[in-house]
Amino acid sequence: MKIGLEIHVQLPTASKMFCSCPTTDAPAPNTHVCPTCLGMPGSRPVLNRKVLEYGIMLAKMLGCTVADTTWFSRKTYFYPDMSKSVQITQYDNPVGEGGVYYLDSGKPIRITRIHVEEDPGKTKRVGDLSSLIDYNRSGIPLAEIVTEPDLSTPAEARSFLGQLIEDIRYVIDLPGDGERSIRCDCNISVGKERCEVKNVTGLKNVERALTFEVVRQTKILKAGGKIERETRRFDEERGVTVSVRKKEFEADYGYIDEPDLGIFHLKEMSDRIKIKESPQKMAVRISAEYGIDKKMARQLISTSADLASLFESAAREFGTKDAVKWIAGPVSSNWKTMESLGISPEGIVPIVREHCGGKITDTECGIRLKSYMTGKEPEEIAGSSGDLDKIIAGYLDSNPSVVSDYAKNPKAANKAIGAVMKQSGGKYQSSEVVEAVKRIIESRM
Amino acid sequence: MTMRDVLSSFREINSKYHMFHAVTGDADPGDAAFLFSAKDNLTSADMETCSGSRILEGYRPAFDAESIARMRAAGGKLIGKCNMDEFGFGTFSVNSGLEIPRNPYDPERSCGGSSGGSACAAAVFEDHVSLGVSTGGSICCPASFCGIYGIAPTYGRVSRYGLIDYGNSLDKIGVLSARAGDMRKYIHMISGRDPKDPTSCAQPELKDTGRKLKSAAVPKDGTEGLSADVKDAFDRSLEKLKSMGIDVETVEMPSLKYAMPAYYVLATSEASTNLARYVGMRYGRQRGDLSLRFDDYFSSFRSEYFGEEAKRRILLGTYTRMAGFRDRYYAKALRVRQSVIADYKSVFSRFDAVLTPTMPFTAPRFGEISGMSALDAYKADYLTVPANLAGTPHLSVPCGYDRNGMPIGMQFVADHWNEEVLFDAAESWEKGFEMVKPEVKV
Repeated sequence: MKIGLEIHVQLPTASKMFCSCPTTDAPAPNTHVCPTCLGMPGSRPVLNRKVLEYGIMLAKMLGCTVADTTWFSRKTYFYPDMSKSVQITQYDNPVGEGGVYYLDSGKPIRITRIHVEEDPGKTKRVGDLSSLIDYNRSGIPLAEIVTEPDLSTPAEARSFLGQLIEDIRYVIDLPGDGERSIRCDCNISVGKERCEVKNVTGLKNVERALTFEVVRQTKILKAGGKIERETRRFDEERGVTVSVRKKEFEADYGYIDEPDLGIFHLKEMSDRIKIKESPQKMAVRISAEYGIDKKMARQLISTSADLASLFESAAREFGTKDAVKWIAGPVSSNWKTMESLGISPEGIVPIVREHCGGKITDTECGIRLKSYMTGKEPEEIAGSSGDLDKIIAGYLDSNPSVVSDYAKNPKAANKAIGAVMKQSGGKYQSSEVVEAVKRIIESRM
Repeated sequence: MTMRDVLSSFREINSKYHMFHAVTGDADPGDAAFLFSAKDNLTSADMETCSGSRILEGYRPAFDAESIARMRAAGGKLIGKCNMDEFGFGTFSVNSGLEIPRNPYDPERSCGGSSGGSACAAAVFEDHVSLGVSTGGSICCPASFCGIYGIAPTYGRVSRYGLIDYGNSLDKIGVLSARAGDMRKYIHMISGRDPKDPTSCAQPELKDTGRKLKSAAVPKDGTEGLSADVKDAFDRSLEKLKSMGIDVETVEMPSLKYAMPAYYVLATSEASTNLARYVGMRYGRQRGDLSLRFDDYFSSFRSEYFGEEAKRRILLGTYTRMAGFRDRYYAKALRVRQSVIADYKSVFSRFDAVLTPTMPFTAPRFGEISGMSALDAYKADYLTVPANLAGTPHLSVPCGYDRNGMPIGMQFVADHWNEEVLFDAAESWEKGFEMVKPEVKV
């Protein structure tokens, strides 16, 4: 089975790709529009250079070669939400080509190309016979990332996409609802011929749509049938893919160069742009450098890149063991609370330093960290975590096998976590319980 | 004739010559410094803009074209929008969904095209300047047929913001007038960088350094296939130029014969994508059978409201960019364009200008035009197309009259950004040329 994805990412520019209309949520349909994004006769596109910058950043993140010169092309097709009946996109010489992206498992996924293009408007069906068009989205900049068919299962496609989105979000500062602004065309072939499922939104739907296709195509092949090359769409409600059109090959779009925009020399811009280390690369590096589990590294980074760098500096100062114990422990589980309260992480390291210098005990260190990060009084923390610790200790006393099982497989902690959650009646945050159970089990090992 | 006189009489004149599609309702020039008109593919916020097409009937743009805005800012008053071939698709202004302009020297003959209405207005009204647009010769051809001066500047010299596109890599906005001095004056007025059109932003400044035309090269192919009267007038003009002290020599420009097919491939490829937006939604005409599926609606609408020539060019242009044909036609034409430019560059290293007649014949009668095939009409542009394909500035000057009294034109082509040489050519020529004005009968 071969799966390849074409991923559309909305780029976080303030204005549209070829005009100055804002990209923010509009108060009403067709309000963030102008002659250019409506394709009025005589209007002309002017490139928002920020779009090329983002394109270069993503190309670098994906290990692509950034083109020295790039230009735009016209893709012609008729659809009511495409205001000019022409989409300005890239055909020859896209921003980036020939990259590789590594899954957490270490498997390489080849990246064919990345190009930038404009989004069409939106069609909204009203009743059976008519539709309304909203052009607010028309001209919003997108990056399209095309992979080689290197993904082998729907689940792998989903985890690839999840990991990729996280990286993109971090590298180009995509807002938190980034997943909403990511759309995917999924190409899948169980046999020889492939089908394309267009415009699937969200990770879960990508996996669902692909899984449906696997079953559908397998059934056809088993029955001795032939898969026809076609474009399909995913019906989210029914969870099925439906044929849209047969055998429409890309070249039918009659690409020509876009003469209104000219040629862009990217060399200088590309040399100037330095990108942040992507979470994926950071996880590989941290896990290798400090000898910790890749999953743990990934978890630190996905909580926050700042947490990951705090881990790094703690590991350098106090050693990996204490960094894992404290930064990947209570600090990690209280990180989001701290961020939401607007508390600076500055005070964390001094507390750990006092502990490592032998000035405060394990218990005190835990209490002070939580107190600092949650803004609560130490007594309150001591009281409540004392209660939690007692519940856990009680459970472990009557189920001592958990500790020895945990030494073989850390998943054994889940049994204790579940029981404690149930016993405490949801009084504690799950992250708090997880941290406390692991801490106490480890202290008994 | 004062501006007020023109404003009180021009509607009546228009009813005979059909130079304008839309006209101003004002009778008072107010504090206008001059009157002007513009080809109807330049958008005007105060007048309907149709680009000669029924598909745009009723369209009132939301903004002025930059060239019109600059004319207005300098005190110009726009009095009318000029009839033209639909979207610029033609040589005689007869491929129009609206009215067809009549030649001021003989209303039974064509004004040329596609800026026919502009040339007609500039020839008929005193002290009148008109904005035209050239893609493959649409300024010089009508200037020649109507016995006036016309200039298409370097590609990118004048902002195309507000120009309803025919072929974006070829379209150039220029000026038509019966006075040679207007070429310099109004190109200065409308040119210059405009951030709204990125292709205008690479231009060097248009200067007045006093540079003169000293030499001109006549390509051998440029004197073939001419009507006897045109050949005769051109030969006499060459002698006159020599007597003015200009060095005139014959040269070989072997790539010029490939310019025509390359031009039609590129122009129609771009045109077919530009015309894709006209589907009977959003603006212009919007009547149609709404019970149809959207693609059937689009097809029925386009079938009904595009003219025959527009349809022909959409088909040609769609064919030349399809997979399997793109490399053979579109990509090859792009290479031919480079070799045509190289040919010009090599001539411009030795000469100030390339000189040919503008059109191989004088303005034909409408009856003759209807007997021409599409290919015959395309071929008539073989002298104007090369400079347009190369994006080099070119200018037509009146250089004589045929046995019927119809004007004959001669075309100078200069190197990119060297409009100054053309301004001088027009001004020097005007001093020694006796213009015969048309008799305007109402």
